[in-house]
Amino acid sequence: MSTEGSEAVIQHTSGWLDKARTQWQNFNTWLELDSSHLSPGRQLSVKYFTVAVILFFAQILFGLLAATQFLAPGFLYEILDFSVNRMVHINAMVVWMLYGFIGCVYWLLEEESGTEIVGLKLGNIAFWVLTSAVTLVVLVYLLVQIGPGKDSSLWLINEGREYIEAPRWADIGIVVVILIFFYNVVATFSKGKWSGIAGVLTLDLIALAGLYVAGMFYMTNITHDQYWWWWVIHLWVEATWEVLVGVIMAWSLMKLLGVKRKIVEIWLYIEVALMFGSGILGLGHHYFWIGTPEYWLTIGGFFSALEPIPLVAMVVHALYDAGTHSFKNSNHPAVAWIIAQAFGNFFGAGVWGFMHTLPQINLYTHGTQWSASHGHLAFFGAYATINIAFFYLAIQHWRGNVWMGGGMVNNWRWKWALGLLNAGVLGMTIALLIAGYEQSFIERAVGGSTWGGYFDAQNHPAFVSAMAWRLFFGLVTAAGFVLLVWDLMTIGKTETRKAQVIE
Amino acid sequence: MLEPVALKDFFITFFSSALVILAGASYALLYAWSHLSQKRTYRLLSYLAYAVLVIAVVVLSRAANFSGYWLLISVAMLVGYFFAPIGIWHLCIKTHPSEQAPADR
Repeated sequence: MSTEGSEAVIQHTSGWLDKARTQWQNFNTWLELDSSHLSPGRQLSVKYFTVAVILFFAQILFGLLAATQFLAPGFLYEILDFSVNRMVHINAMVVWMLYGFIGCVYWLLEEESGTEIVGLKLGNIAFWVLTSAVTLVVLVYLLVQIGPGKDSSLWLINEGREYIEAPRWADIGIVVVILIFFYNVVATFSKGKWSGIAGVLTLDLIALAGLYVAGMFYMTNITHDQYWWWWVIHLWVEATWEVLVGVIMAWSLMKLLGVKRKIVEIWLYIEVALMFGSGILGLGHHYFWIGTPEYWLTIGGFFSALEPIPLVAMVVHALYDAGTHSFKNSNHPAVAWIIAQAFGNFFGAGVWGFMHTLPQINLYTHGTQWSASHGHLAFFGAYATINIAFFYLAIQHWRGNVWMGGGMVNNWRWKWALGLLNAGVLGMTIALLIAGYEQSFIERAVGGSTWGGYFDAQNHPAFVSAMAWRLFFGLVTAAGFVLLVWDLMTIGKTETRKAQVIE
Repeated sequence: MLEPVALKDFFITFFSSALVILAGASYALLYAWSHLSQKRTYRLLSYLAYAVLVIAVVVLSRAANFSGYWLLISVAMLVGYFFAPIGIWHLCIKTHPSEQAPADR
């Protein structure tokens, strides 16, 4: 290329960059968010929330693509195959939950410890490292997709383990970032003050980081390999994440409803005990059919029957607090999402879980759309909801702790976003339930888990129409997401009143 | 020994399992509400919910072919779901010393 040609390209690029910069500035001006309202720790927290929202969008987008491929298998064939879309859909969900949780912890850390975050600079570096790594991993998932059956593929492209497909370099990176996060939490509480919430959080983060390591080594026996793999999948989700949510919930109940610290901390201990008591050995319901000894049938069945008890306890306690505090709160959208969490967790994890968890029926249902039905409602109900509640809490403070009670401008937006997202996920859950019922009946019980049975089930009108309804409700969820983002960007913009003080 | 659910009992298994949890939660909620509102009707309704739970457990045990030590799960559900709400309620009272509901002051 000639010198003139190079200069033209440079000028063109710099013009484009200037234009992009101007548009970004205009967008920021339109948002009217003032970061000076936030402490440095909370500024880091909202970075995590922002990426969480972007990944939430990725989850929905790739979920819609995968749902479309159930109806039109040729759609994007050999460009973005179902396996890739499904993988990105699930990975995006796991990672946006983690971003949300880390954001929530950074949000509460300074206030809870009474001091500034010790390794704030390190925390900011870790955020950019993690975000760059996630971007690179997703680009490799989308553009490279597969590699030869060598160690290099495992290290650079895809580790191959369902739900935790991130290549090995990213795995190590995730552990390092989580260790930095752990250091920040422990060092900050050590410098400031410890509390019951701080203690439970610290112990939980040790388990969170430690259990991830169980998914980082290989065993030649598939049963042994799956045995450890479930430690990450089940124990992360049904033990450490539930406890993390318990911590976040306890703190938010104090701030939003004015519940006393002593009460939330005692309940946190009770719920952690109940959760660990039933959740750890509830792991047994994943060991029914992978070649582990027969006693896991009994252990898994028994503890799975007990798993809903902590969820019932939470509902009763929520009712008690609601009765004594008359639901007076400082942030209506956040509290509405917390209520959605209590019910979503109970129905998604409790009811939908127990419906197919006893081995006598799980023999037919495991690995069918039943699991997907349970997974959609449980993940959204237990985890997405609490993160969204915190998005509203963050935006309230980002705007200068403005009023977010009754009589807000454009109140309908958060209510409709709440309604559409919940209706969308519930609709998908019911559609997948019907598909799973049909699949376990025709493919498993009648067809005897043969390929013939599989294809009979996949082509059955009940399955196909259930999948069409799943796509429809996926679109409803997407509409709810668009409204949620619009609401988060605009809520409280014109509000001049200060937030209600809750005693 | 494990005997899988018969084809004809699929629906009843799913339905009764869901009903166990829903009736258990309804019993717990109505029990708590009967204390908060001091109304006997809610207490009676809570026992009605528990009766539904008992029926659901019996139906589930039959549909899922529980026999021998598997029946321990049925017993655990009946005993656990009966006492858990009472225990949880008392924990609520003990942990909210300054905010007790009118009925328990």
